[in-house]
Amino acid sequence: MFFENVDFSALELPAPALKLREEVRAFLREEVAAGALTPHLGHTEFDAEFTRKVASRGWIGMTWPKRYGGQERSYLDRFVVTEEMLAVAAPCAAHWVADRQTGPSLLRYGSEHLKQKYLPAIARGECCFALGMSEPNSGSDLASVRTRAERMPGGWRVTGQKVWTSWAHKAHAFFVLCRTAPDTGNRHEGLSQLIIELDAPGVTVRPIRFMNGHHHFNEVFLDNVYVPDDMVVGEIGRGWKQVTSELALERSGPERYMTIFPLLVELIRRLGQAADVRAQETVGRLTARLWTLRRMALAIALTLDPGAGGDSRATADLATEAALVKDMGTFYEREIIDAARLLAAVEPTPEATDTFERYLAETIVCSPVATIRGGTTEVLRTLIARRLLGSLK
Amino acid sequence: MNTPKDVRSMLIESATRLFSDNVDQKMLEAAKRDGWSERLWQTLEQAELPRVSVPEEAGGAGGTLSDLAAVLRVAGRFTAPAPLAETSMLAGWMLAASGLPVPRGALTAGPAGDDVVSARRNGSRWNVSGTLARLPWARIAKRLVLLAQADGDAAVVSIDPARCEIRPGRNLAHEPRDEVILDNVPAEEAAPAGTGVTRSALKLRGALARSLMMAGALERALELSVGYAQQRVQFGRKIGQFQAIQQELARFGGEVAAAVAAALSAAGAVERGGDVILAVASAKIRTAEAAREGALIAHQVHGAIGVTDEYALHHSTLRLWAWRDEYGNEAEWARALGGITQKRGADQFWPALTAN
Repeated sequence: MFFENVDFSALELPAPALKLREEVRAFLREEVAAGALTPHLGHTEFDAEFTRKVASRGWIGMTWPKRYGGQERSYLDRFVVTEEMLAVAAPCAAHWVADRQTGPSLLRYGSEHLKQKYLPAIARGECCFALGMSEPNSGSDLASVRTRAERMPGGWRVTGQKVWTSWAHKAHAFFVLCRTAPDTGNRHEGLSQLIIELDAPGVTVRPIRFMNGHHHFNEVFLDNVYVPDDMVVGEIGRGWKQVTSELALERSGPERYMTIFPLLVELIRRLGQAADVRAQETVGRLTARLWTLRRMALAIALTLDPGAGGDSRATADLATEAALVKDMGTFYEREIIDAARLLAAVEPTPEATDTFERYLAETIVCSPVATIRGGTTEVLRTLIARRLLGSLK
Repeated sequence: MNTPKDVRSMLIESATRLFSDNVDQKMLEAAKRDGWSERLWQTLEQAELPRVSVPEEAGGAGGTLSDLAAVLRVAGRFTAPAPLAETSMLAGWMLAASGLPVPRGALTAGPAGDDVVSARRNGSRWNVSGTLARLPWARIAKRLVLLAQADGDAAVVSIDPARCEIRPGRNLAHEPRDEVILDNVPAEEAAPAGTGVTRSALKLRGALARSLMMAGALERALELSVGYAQQRVQFGRKIGQFQAIQQELARFGGEVAAAVAAALSAAGAVERGGDVILAVASAKIRTAEAAREGALIAHQVHGAIGVTDEYALHHSTLRLWAWRDEYGNEAEWARALGGITQKRGADQFWPALTAN
């Protein structure tokens, strides 16, 4: 029913990926030793300097063709880099959206002009992208977006409002899903994707503060923003299909079950050697669940990998499996938080000097987010049920 | 040792056909009384399935542990009433690893728990004594393959159950779990236990076998639930059209996918070596958790019809509830895994998880 063509018993990371893992670990060890990283949990942090260092190692856009600044490495290599970054909560916000979504979308649908313009800059760590999908009245129901693009000579004039745009105040450009033709019944038609640079005339970025006062979300107002034709991604009117394939990429990775992993590590540190039955049982169970989630995410990465016998065109076919991993991964993260709370019995304090206690406070405050962003639990489960049940009439 | 992917697919396909053609409701009902289906066993023997992964030189059919894993998953899916796992993964392994031939016929193996079995040399033969509380399939097995203590060393002995006192017992799914009492029973075959043949290894392989079978049984329970939701009409609609049902089925789907991923991955880890405790403990924990969630969702979706013995669902769910507690339940394995994790320390947690 799921993972039909995956042979889990044979699933293994190849030697080059293991070697790469050691390189990434060594790099991150040095960064930590140099005091360059002070991780915070909950929301991946934005650190342009760190992103440039990662880029200089060739770890951004690493699966892309060399002519666009990539390394033509495998998805498994990328998987390894991603999980190592997550294991120490490295501040990757300046490149993850572009690395995971913008880049692959451009490779798949973008014109040669757009590929040349953005991909090498992303791979150098010099160009940061955000995503302009949600709107005040379009959350889970993305096809209802109202941001409109009207035809102009040589381009489009875009007006509307995007919300929850993470890091728009620091990014260079964003992908905008908008309506290029009126909704005439089939709401999935008439949608298109454009790239808008965030310093373009008519663009206003305003913060939406998170409940702890932190600023990473924004609302972005588009007031008659001129977008030339060569900034259209893919075909006019095909935006829906393009966006949904992007979502599969967003959902499949270790970032869906490892964003608070360092809290689990600190919990284990805090428990020490205490031979407490409840502690052992909890740690064992959390280990088993993580091990299993990782095997599933690895299966998706391997299937995406053309070099390993996979097929990158299989992305859309794996959308359900990706949804499964995301759904289970986000609930797994909640379990870590509860385990940490109940075993440690400390009052969460955001300013705590103790790393474990600070992580606990940070993750509790951010805990509602994971099951909302990148597809809510309810939307994902509807998608999974559709695969199971087919279309019932 | 890796089996090419298409060979494994063919094995799965032929096993699926065999079980699908031979296991039906009537056979499963009869097996509740008889303890097993001898007819099914004969069919399995002809297809050499109980001998998969047992080396050819020991009388087996060859193939890898992952091949056997694929077969056990299918056997679990069809709730095959026969000691397939005990014969191949446990007894066959113990005998072959100790240089003994693997006889034809149904076999079982023990003890994986705290039972004590001892062997004493008597001339050229070995006499075996002890009590096993719940030996799977003992009353229908042709041989009991036991790990016995012999003057401080471990020996593998093959016992004719006709020479033992057997008090029939069963698990929730009516599978034989018998008390076996041996009083100076001469062994048919005996040898020093081979490399790696220990009580904990036996328990580990038993846990792996049950994980694989639970993954299969969960798949069947999900298939039945989906099929039922597609047909059952209430309030003028198929119940699968209700989001409340859809959300539960989706959750069930996730549990099944996780169980399959964990169980098969663990088989690969045992085949390749390395941190087998991490893999098998994780698999047994995760499949048992999936069994708990999945079995109850399956019954909830089915409503009252699912709890009857005329409807097929209980063959899967009763086995899930039995198997999750055999060879260590999820709490027991979690304590073992958690203890190891704590002992390694926080900084070794991630390296250990990603070691293979």
